[in-house]
Amino acid sequence: MTITTNLAPKNGEKEFSRRPATSTQEAILTLAAGSALAGLGIWRRGWFGATMGAAGGYLLYCGVRDFQRPYQGRVRVSYTIGKDRQEIYDFASNPQNWPRFMHAIQVENRGNGQFAFSIGEPAGIDFESNVQITDQQAGEHIAWASAEQMLEHRGVIRFKQAPGDRGTEVSVALEYKAPAGPIARALASLVGWGPEQVVRESLRHLKQLLEAGEIPTTKGQPSGARGIRGTAKRIMFREGPSEQAVEQTRMAGD
Amino acid sequence: MKALCWQGKTSASVERVNDPSILNPRDAILRITRTAICGSDLHLYDGYIPTMEPGDVLGHEFMGEVIETGSEVKKVKKGDRVVVPFTISCGQCFYCKNQMWSACDNTNPNAWIMEKMYGYSGSALYGYSHMMGGYAGGQAQYVRVPFADIGCLQVPDGIDDEKVLFLSDIFPTGYMAAENCDLKGGEVVAIWGCGPVGQFTIRSAFMLGAERVIAIDRIPERLKMARAGGAEIINYEEVDDLVEELKWVTGGRGPDACIDAVGLEAHGVGLAAAYDYSKQRMKMSFDRPIVLRQVMQACRKGGVVSIPGVYGGFLDKIPFGAAFGKGLIFKMGQTHMHKYMQPLLQRVQNGEIDPSFVITHRLSLDEAPEAYKTFRDKQDQCIKVVLDPWKEAAAA
Ligand SMILES: NC(=O)c1ccc[n+]([C@@H]2O[C@H](COP(=O)([O-])OP(=O)(O)OC[C@H]3O[C@@H](n4cnc5c(N)ncnc54)[C@H](O)[C@@H]3O)[C@@H](O)[C@H]2O)c1
Ligand SMILES: [Zn+2]
Ligand SMILES: [Zn+2]
Repeated sequence: MTITTNLAPKNGEKEFSRRPATSTQEAILTLAAGSALAGLGIWRRGWFGATMGAAGGYLLYCGVRDFQRPYQGRVRVSYTIGKDRQEIYDFASNPQNWPRFMHAIQVENRGNGQFAFSIGEPAGIDFESNVQITDQQAGEHIAWASAEQMLEHRGVIRFKQAPGDRGTEVSVALEYKAPAGPIARALASLVGWGPEQVVRESLRHLKQLLEAGEIPTTKGQPSGARGIRGTAKRIMFREGPSEQAVEQTRMAGD
Repeated sequence: MKALCWQGKTSASVERVNDPSILNPRDAILRITRTAICGSDLHLYDGYIPTMEPGDVLGHEFMGEVIETGSEVKKVKKGDRVVVPFTISCGQCFYCKNQMWSACDNTNPNAWIMEKMYGYSGSALYGYSHMMGGYAGGQAQYVRVPFADIGCLQVPDGIDDEKVLFLSDIFPTGYMAAENCDLKGGEVVAIWGCGPVGQFTIRSAFMLGAERVIAIDRIPERLKMARAGGAEIINYEEVDDLVEELKWVTGGRGPDACIDAVGLEAHGVGLAAAYDYSKQRMKMSFDRPIVLRQVMQACRKGGVVSIPGVYGGFLDKIPFGAAFGKGLIFKMGQTHMHKYMQPLLQRVQNGEIDPSFVITHRLSLDEAPEAYKTFRDKQDQCIKVVLDPWKEAAAA
């Protein structure tokens, strides 16, 4: 099944351009990195090894696939939010609220239904993308398309009443063409910046904010010393990059 | 503050860490007065639950005094004495509103991990791995309680900490395990595992109308405590074939309901058990479903299998044919804590039960690392450990 937004390309391109997303060198590099990781994973064994093995396997798969066709991605995410359709629409369509629930994205309102998006934490590395709202119907949907070719994407967010008084089904369908090679993509998804994750977490945050009134977090909570690997994983586990670690003093009794 | 931190497989230590602070408007901070070690903590300690990291603060059974509240906390006040359920729930989603509290949609910041593993994420838990939320736990001097108005049960004055502490987990867990058996009066219930959860399950089964309870374990003091609760007991190491034994003592019918209060670290004998152990050791599987198999085999036709014991991953050699062939009913899951805490507090106040009966060890937080070992290895007749995080360690 295709996710065509139908409504999106009024002002944009009809079809994504067919440039292969990766060069041959990139794909070869990916294959090499993939084999190395997979080999290391098999050698290390255990839970951690399995993860590395899987990551390696994934890169291999990416490498092979990138030889075959241009990289184009699709994201489909849907959550049911236990609130009235109009209420959700009003909140979600107001650009002022976007920073409150968008995950890993900064937005700048350029007026005239045009927005500049960048991915990453403030002052992080950015992909900038200019976005044009292409269609909008109050309480129903908002469709957009990227304005330039570098990072192409278009998508639609829809609002639909859920059965059985369960609120509103909010769904996002997105098509994109990634500018980065598979290594960059794999890294991006490791820290939660992959397109799928950005959409999923943003929609989840919207739900949490509207239902529970806040987005759950553990950023800033206490923990013991984590060591190098543990500290690196704090980003993955949404504890945020580690803030100043307290000096650890081992207590008597252990 | 002092906190017990996980450091790796079979290693935990008391560390000095930052005090917790309010991070979200619905948070509260508790000064912990009592906290307990649970059988579930042993799964972490033994390294069977993925996504634990060195430095994670352990503990999910705790109570204390509220010392600070966030701007959106309305019901709970500074100075309140409260006991906190181990599951974190928002109170506002579909699941919370329909009494399926441990399935809450909105409390796990790492829901994406669970979605990848299980399809959907349940509620977050305190001190129970990053995939379950990564919240710092309560084997510490202070703890942050998110969604405090939903999560804190106010405890009336004049009732001991020790009598209400287990409303945080094991009493409701045992109660729900028994309630899941859908008892109407006159049933025979068999319960595997006479740990703290098993003990509360035994007593709850009687409260809910079971006529006979058969408790199964191998540890003498635990079996003794089960008998004190009114159960008949079977030491599974002393019988040839447990399923046959149960058939024998139930007039050939089999128990009407079978409860697995053991979970993924079941101890076993024989070939099948050796197979499970080696698979677990090779990290091919996290779970040893020895008891689960027996439960499915032993249960009468059309009976209920209730599973409070924790499982995490893929299970091997499960007699699903038996389950289908007999038309068994399965009930399981993390306890829907918030549904049971108030009514069970009422039962404690009415004097129907004094939950402190399971406590065998009262220690300081500094002694916790040692206590994990004692509890796991069932030494020193240990059944339940309660910690006072402010008590000085007994002089060694
Ligand atoms: N569902 C929930 O929400 C929830 C809440 C709390 C605890 N739990 C789980 O309940 C289980 C029990 O918790 P606990 O605190 O009582 O732990 P525990 O480790 O103290 O008790 C387990 C008992 O099972 C016995 N046992 C081991 N193998 C057995 C076998 N083959 N047959 C019969 N008995 C056997 C042990 O001797 C022990 O007494 C754990 O898996 C724990 O994680 C679940
Ligand atoms: Zn517990
Ligand atoms: Zn909820």
